[in-house]
Amino acid sequence: MNRTSLLAATALAALPLAAAAQERPVAIQNVRILTLEGAPIERGTVVLRGGKIEAVGREVTVPAGARIEDGKGGTVMPGLVSAWFRIEQAGPRTQELPGRGGRRGPRGPMPTPGPSATPVNLAASKAAASLYANQEVFADLLGLGVTTLGYAPSGQGFPGRGAVLNPAGRTAAALTVDDAAFVLVAPAANTRAKELLKGELDKAAKVLAARKAPPPASQPATAPGSQPAGAPASQPAAPAAPPAQAPQGRPGPAPAGTPGAPQGGSQPQPQKDPNVEVLADLLDGKARAFLEVGSANDLIHYLDAVGSVRFPTVVIAARGGGSEGRLDEVLDQVKELKAPVLLPTALPTAPFTRDLVNQARRLHDAGIEVGFHLGNSKEGVRQLFFRLMELVRCGLPAEAALRGVTLAPAKMLGLDRSLGSLKVGKDADLLLFSGDPLDPASRLVKVWHKGQEVKKDPTR
Amino acid sequence: MHARILLSLLVLGGIALDLPAQRRRPPTGRPAPAAPDNQPAPPPAASLDRSKVKAWTLYKGADLHLGTGEVLRRGELLVGDDKIFAIGTGLDLPEGGKVIECAGRVISPGFVAVRALGLGQPSGNPGKAADGVNPFDPTIKMALAAGITSYGAIFEGGTASPDGRSAVLKLAFGDLKGMVLQEDSVLQMRVPLNPQQWQTLRDQVKKVQDHKKAVAEHAAKKDNTPAPKPPAGTEKLLRVIDREARLWIGAAGAYDNDAIREALEVARLLDVGVVLVEPLTAWSIPDEVAATGSMAIVNPRQVADPDPGRKDSTGSNLAQCRILSETGVAVAVTTPRGGFAGGPSIGTGGIMGQDLNTPHIDAAFAVRGGMDNREALRTLTLDAARILGAESRIGSLEVGKDADLLILDGDPLHYRTFVQIAVVNGKVVYEKDKEPFYSHIGR
Repeated sequence: MNRTSLLAATALAALPLAAAAQERPVAIQNVRILTLEGAPIERGTVVLRGGKIEAVGREVTVPAGARIEDGKGGTVMPGLVSAWFRIEQAGPRTQELPGRGGRRGPRGPMPTPGPSATPVNLAASKAAASLYANQEVFADLLGLGVTTLGYAPSGQGFPGRGAVLNPAGRTAAALTVDDAAFVLVAPAANTRAKELLKGELDKAAKVLAARKAPPPASQPATAPGSQPAGAPASQPAAPAAPPAQAPQGRPGPAPAGTPGAPQGGSQPQPQKDPNVEVLADLLDGKARAFLEVGSANDLIHYLDAVGSVRFPTVVIAARGGGSEGRLDEVLDQVKELKAPVLLPTALPTAPFTRDLVNQARRLHDAGIEVGFHLGNSKEGVRQLFFRLMELVRCGLPAEAALRGVTLAPAKMLGLDRSLGSLKVGKDADLLLFSGDPLDPASRLVKVWHKGQEVKKDPTR
Repeated sequence: MHARILLSLLVLGGIALDLPAQRRRPPTGRPAPAAPDNQPAPPPAASLDRSKVKAWTLYKGADLHLGTGEVLRRGELLVGDDKIFAIGTGLDLPEGGKVIECAGRVISPGFVAVRALGLGQPSGNPGKAADGVNPFDPTIKMALAAGITSYGAIFEGGTASPDGRSAVLKLAFGDLKGMVLQEDSVLQMRVPLNPQQWQTLRDQVKKVQDHKKAVAEHAAKKDNTPAPKPPAGTEKLLRVIDREARLWIGAAGAYDNDAIREALEVARLLDVGVVLVEPLTAWSIPDEVAATGSMAIVNPRQVADPDPGRKDSTGSNLAQCRILSETGVAVAVTTPRGGFAGGPSIGTGGIMGQDLNTPHIDAAFAVRGGMDNREALRTLTLDAARILGAESRIGSLEVGKDADLLILDGDPLHYRTFVQIAVVNGKVVYEKDKEPFYSHIGR
């Protein structure tokens, strides 16, 4: 008897709730639906099944056997997407840092390099490799409605690649959805960092040119002319310029200079630098960059360093600007980058005044897609909707504010096909509020993550 | 008819060059300074190309204080992009140009602060200054409100030999490329030197002279061998001797006549005019300073008592700027130093008047000490630019120079005068009515 009940208990505990949820659809009725794709739906229904959104609308037939969830006139919106997340305490680090012996290095947790770190090109390294899963912050954030995280490495130069995390995961493997979601580019206003950016991108441009050059069987002499034409249409003109020289300069003299080369056909392969290869992917448009700038000043120093080299980019404004200028002071340069911008939610003041500046509104009005940092801790995320309310009160459209924490960051992470809005077929990540999400009087009632209801955080 | 001629004569008289322009005259009875470095370099007028200019601006009707000591009444100033193209009257404005009416206003060159802190200069050591400047620093706007359009950022230096890093930066708010005028045009050292340091310096100078001889011989030979390189450790000294960099000499202790004479000894050894940084008693030996072609940075209201233990000790003198200037020593005015002084910084942190917020009032103290008003403007403009080695670009309203200018509502050195508009590199970067500092003060 005892034994059977114990068994049953274990079975219940072990049985993933997902299995039950997948079999039984959920219908959330009597809610205002902010789909963030088109106008809101007053008093509609959302049906979730198998971790996906099965139906959204006013006249939705509730499937037989569905569990009915009465929204009581509340509001449903997509789950929050944090495109820019860092863990203050990184835990044990498996990535090697330059200058520290890998195996002989200290075993304990190593400090993450701060902003004053030496600029490096570690573009091939992965932030997810040093992820320490056993931290409360993931469950905390999920409980507050953050359903997806973009996890960024830290450092100067090209400190590594960021990951997309599923905050419901309990192990590093379960947390990591994509360990190479973006390449972090972190410029700084000093000669070393700027020379590193320029030098490494130049190397990457050469690598890219070598990749695109015809195979060594054909004569490299024909390459230069055909090179820019062979590049895809999205390829900016600038990186095409150095490659024009590369096919001649590099493989050309090599056979002549090495008479002892084994065969005419096989050229000496230069050793590939994985970090430069990643940057070449970036230049090729196969990867996207997150450009972390603290201020307008960082941005113009970055543009000064890289010149006209462009690649798919998301601008991350890590700070409000302070005494180094805000991004709305360099609108032309931001527009020219054709990149969405992720901003802090704070309202900074103009220097020497108490005038609040709504830089999110200024960027939005200029036609730039704007998203927001959600914060790295539950304390930060708890303030999120209050901060958004302030921005909306100062003129940012409410829809833009809400898109800025859902669809816009999902696009930045390249996940807008499955995340960011309430649309049939997208992941069933949603939040139910007792009223308008931006109204300080309304509460976050429930969170669904991949169709499952998230256990309520008792402190919420 | 007669009235018309009379009228035009009157107008002509009004707009003619105000030529009693108080040129510096060598004082009678004193030896004329044999000054190799005492004349400012001319602006590079040759580089002007009218066909490439995109935007023309004509400033009309203001009294132009040229910064050289001259004033042009109701003159006109033609700016093409970031350079001054013409100064005079009845200038033609090319098609599509803009006219800015400045009747009743005064136009002066932007002030040059020989030394300043903050204002967008890099903190720490970023490498090159150009890679670390912050053109969005809010103190830039404050400095523009004070009339400063460029300044010397002195990062380090002041050992027993010419050394250090520096930059001449412009207050081109928001414009990264426009901010850096030149780097390392100022090197620093300090006196007194001990006998060993003197010996080292003499050895270095000897090495540089040998090197220069070798270079000259190499050039004469005209073969294709590589030119000899300067001996290690003498590169900076070579730049001073070649007049590529100004050498500023400060004093580790009191800058009394002993220290001044030691600094002048360095000038003679190197055969270049140097810049004495706040030489307290230079006014008592101005001829000796002038004879080396050296210049000085002073604060006219610096007060120091004579040392009672020494016979030749004189202390400070309110007339120091006039005395030095009349003797042919170019003077730049800087901020006071002392217990309450904010030093060469700007902002709301210090005591107003003890910092860079009011450079024109510091220069006005030179006038109080007997200096001519127009000469005193030179201490903030052309002579300050010369002390930074940047006089070919900034410091005066002359054809070919950068269009850095101030539109003022009164005499540049009057205490009630405010900057209405500041222009750097031809662009308006400060407007009194639009910034929070002084817009509430109406005149």
